[in-house]
Amino acid sequence: MLISFPNMGPNWVAFKTLFTALDLDVVVPDPTNREAIKIGVKYSPEFVCFPFKATLGDFVNAIEKGADTLVMAIDCGPCRFGFYASVQERILRDMGYKNIRIIPLDQADLLEFHWVKTLQEVSGRKDLFIYSKYIKAVIYFLKKAKLLNDIQTAEGLFRAYERNLGDTTRVVNELLEKLDKANTLVELRNFKKVIKNDFNSIDIEKSRTPLRVGLSGEIHISLEPYVNLDLRRKLGEMGVEVHQSLSLYDWVVHKFHLNYHRKWLEHLAKPYVPMDIGGECVWVLGEYIDKAKAGFDGFIHSYPFTCMPEVTARTIITNKLKKMYDLPIIYFSFDEQSGQEGFRTRLEAFYDLMEARREREIKSTPEFMANGQKKIYPQYGGEFYNEIAQLIQAE
Amino acid sequence: MVEVSDKLKTEEGKKDAFLGIDIGSVSCKFVLMDRNGEVLTSVFLRNRGSPIDSAKAGMAELRDKIQAEPDLLNYAIKCCGTTGSARYLTKAVVGGDLAKTEIIAHAVATQSMYPDVRTILEIGGQDSKIIILRDDIIVDFAMNSVCAAGTGSFLDHQAARLGIPIEDFGDYAVRSENPVSIAGRCTVFAESDMIHKQNAGYSKEDIIAGLCDSLVRNYMNNVGKGKELDEPVVFQGGVSYNKGIIQAFERHLGCKVIVPKYNVLMGALGMAILVRDYYVEHGSETVFRGLEVSDIEFKTTTFYCGDCPNNCEIVQVRMPEQDNKIIARWGSRCGKWDQLT
Repeated sequence: MLISFPNMGPNWVAFKTLFTALDLDVVVPDPTNREAIKIGVKYSPEFVCFPFKATLGDFVNAIEKGADTLVMAIDCGPCRFGFYASVQERILRDMGYKNIRIIPLDQADLLEFHWVKTLQEVSGRKDLFIYSKYIKAVIYFLKKAKLLNDIQTAEGLFRAYERNLGDTTRVVNELLEKLDKANTLVELRNFKKVIKNDFNSIDIEKSRTPLRVGLSGEIHISLEPYVNLDLRRKLGEMGVEVHQSLSLYDWVVHKFHLNYHRKWLEHLAKPYVPMDIGGECVWVLGEYIDKAKAGFDGFIHSYPFTCMPEVTARTIITNKLKKMYDLPIIYFSFDEQSGQEGFRTRLEAFYDLMEARREREIKSTPEFMANGQKKIYPQYGGEFYNEIAQLIQAE
Repeated sequence: MVEVSDKLKTEEGKKDAFLGIDIGSVSCKFVLMDRNGEVLTSVFLRNRGSPIDSAKAGMAELRDKIQAEPDLLNYAIKCCGTTGSARYLTKAVVGGDLAKTEIIAHAVATQSMYPDVRTILEIGGQDSKIIILRDDIIVDFAMNSVCAAGTGSFLDHQAARLGIPIEDFGDYAVRSENPVSIAGRCTVFAESDMIHKQNAGYSKEDIIAGLCDSLVRNYMNNVGKGKELDEPVVFQGGVSYNKGIIQAFERHLGCKVIVPKYNVLMGALGMAILVRDYYVEHGSETVFRGLEVSDIEFKTTTFYCGDCPNNCEIVQVRMPEQDNKIIARWGSRCGKWDQLT
């Protein structure tokens, strides 16, 4: 039996460890590419949201590499995502892959422990002895997911300061390989230092004062670089600090009811959307308010074309929040298009817009650069963010 | 990435001039501007297949215009900037000093003429934009991302269908007294609606006026989405020649819509202004290849990278006269071919 799962940016490292810790064989699909998208688009319903198509393409790719058991997250709604797994299984059957199973991973509420059933089904064992392995698998998964989150945080900061274009990207790719190979608790415990050391080896120009941008949106689109046209890298290479708290770890911890950052965001968004309506709607609103209050230069909201919850968030922001908080925002609605020219034009124009605003701010408050600008918000971000920020801050 | 030419031009005793080039989807514009922001001469051409050919054709025409006017011979081009969707390719070909998005270029040009402008509507051949300014800076903008309804090409096509030259399109619309209603959501619906009304015997004038209305509605819904459009409103781009559309905008917005003198040249003019400021600020020497660009041969080749499953199509531009030197290359998703070495 060969297990596989869809791509979501660098998170294959975490998914892989969840199954290898159970002594199962895993096939990692190729990074999402044009071929996978082509197949996904061809066999999906035309109107479905883009992550469905992309993950279907990944599944076909994994099956061609030998996988026969696929794991896909499901949810009890509230948007179309709830039906991804069952519809994809039918489509794969219709395509002629008769012996393929999609095992759903119920993530509606992880404290309900439905995911244990998934692990039982995947490992094919239910006896008590396997439970120690489940615990190991979950611990490894959570640890690696956390470390991936840390890499993402550091990457977003460092790329804006690098002297040689591409250093950060190289370090991140090396770190992913290293993290994939770290398979003991000791290594994982010390991995934070590895991350810090590797990033510290990048030649950075500490005196820069890059623009700060918050990034949020639908989770698959925001994390998968092929689909979002490598938005994070492009922003970084334009010299923009990218702050994105959205990650797999962020999501999983939220589903364990332990994510206090998200609770705070929900609190901020409550006057506008009082409950989870699917996608990241509530948290996008929360992030927008949070980033506006923290004094960011801009905000980017990316989502799949036709995504209902994200369009709701977009409308609330344009009609209400933007007028209250005045934080520049740009929306990217992604679909299968691969033409990058319009995307680049809008991104560059957005950069110019933020820069002009900042220049005006500097003019109106001369001490802006001295006090406001260089300060990395002490109240802002988690523990690891502050450690990374220390590395960058000029003496 | 763009390789810079090492050809430097230093002509003594000449006045400074700055060149802005805007190569869009349908047409290309060249503006030569002096230090004070006065337009010296301009060129407007339909695109010739590729941005390289368009740039060369434009340069040739610009050279002819300069040589025909003795006054212009006293000017030397100090800096050159490019904008429009082909800005990077054009920059590589002509040796531009600066490439900026058309959004910024349009805003800068409009501000130079109407410093208090708060809303800019721009409708060109293939795309349409809206730019919102407050207190002299851009605070919001939008471009049509998925829909080509409400652009010049659509009007051009419909004019051909009705058998009238596009130049007269606006006059027809102005003459109408009862515009028919035409679906504005999508060009496909608009077109079938139009054929239906045409066959039902409505007059051309009323159909055209209805079409102008539906185009404006589409623009407002797709591009203007929820933005506050305050006065003064400036309308530019190729479609602003169309009186019918101007009237439809005025009806829709309930205020006066200003069309600037150089309505189609605004992008190029803005780029000339930006590049002048860039020159004044940096005082750098230009990498502009000169008007002789029209005689230089450029060759584009494409190949597939093949290093990963994406198999990106890489485009490169070579100059055969200079040992086949690669002056520009792009197209890879991961960015590794962008370096020229």
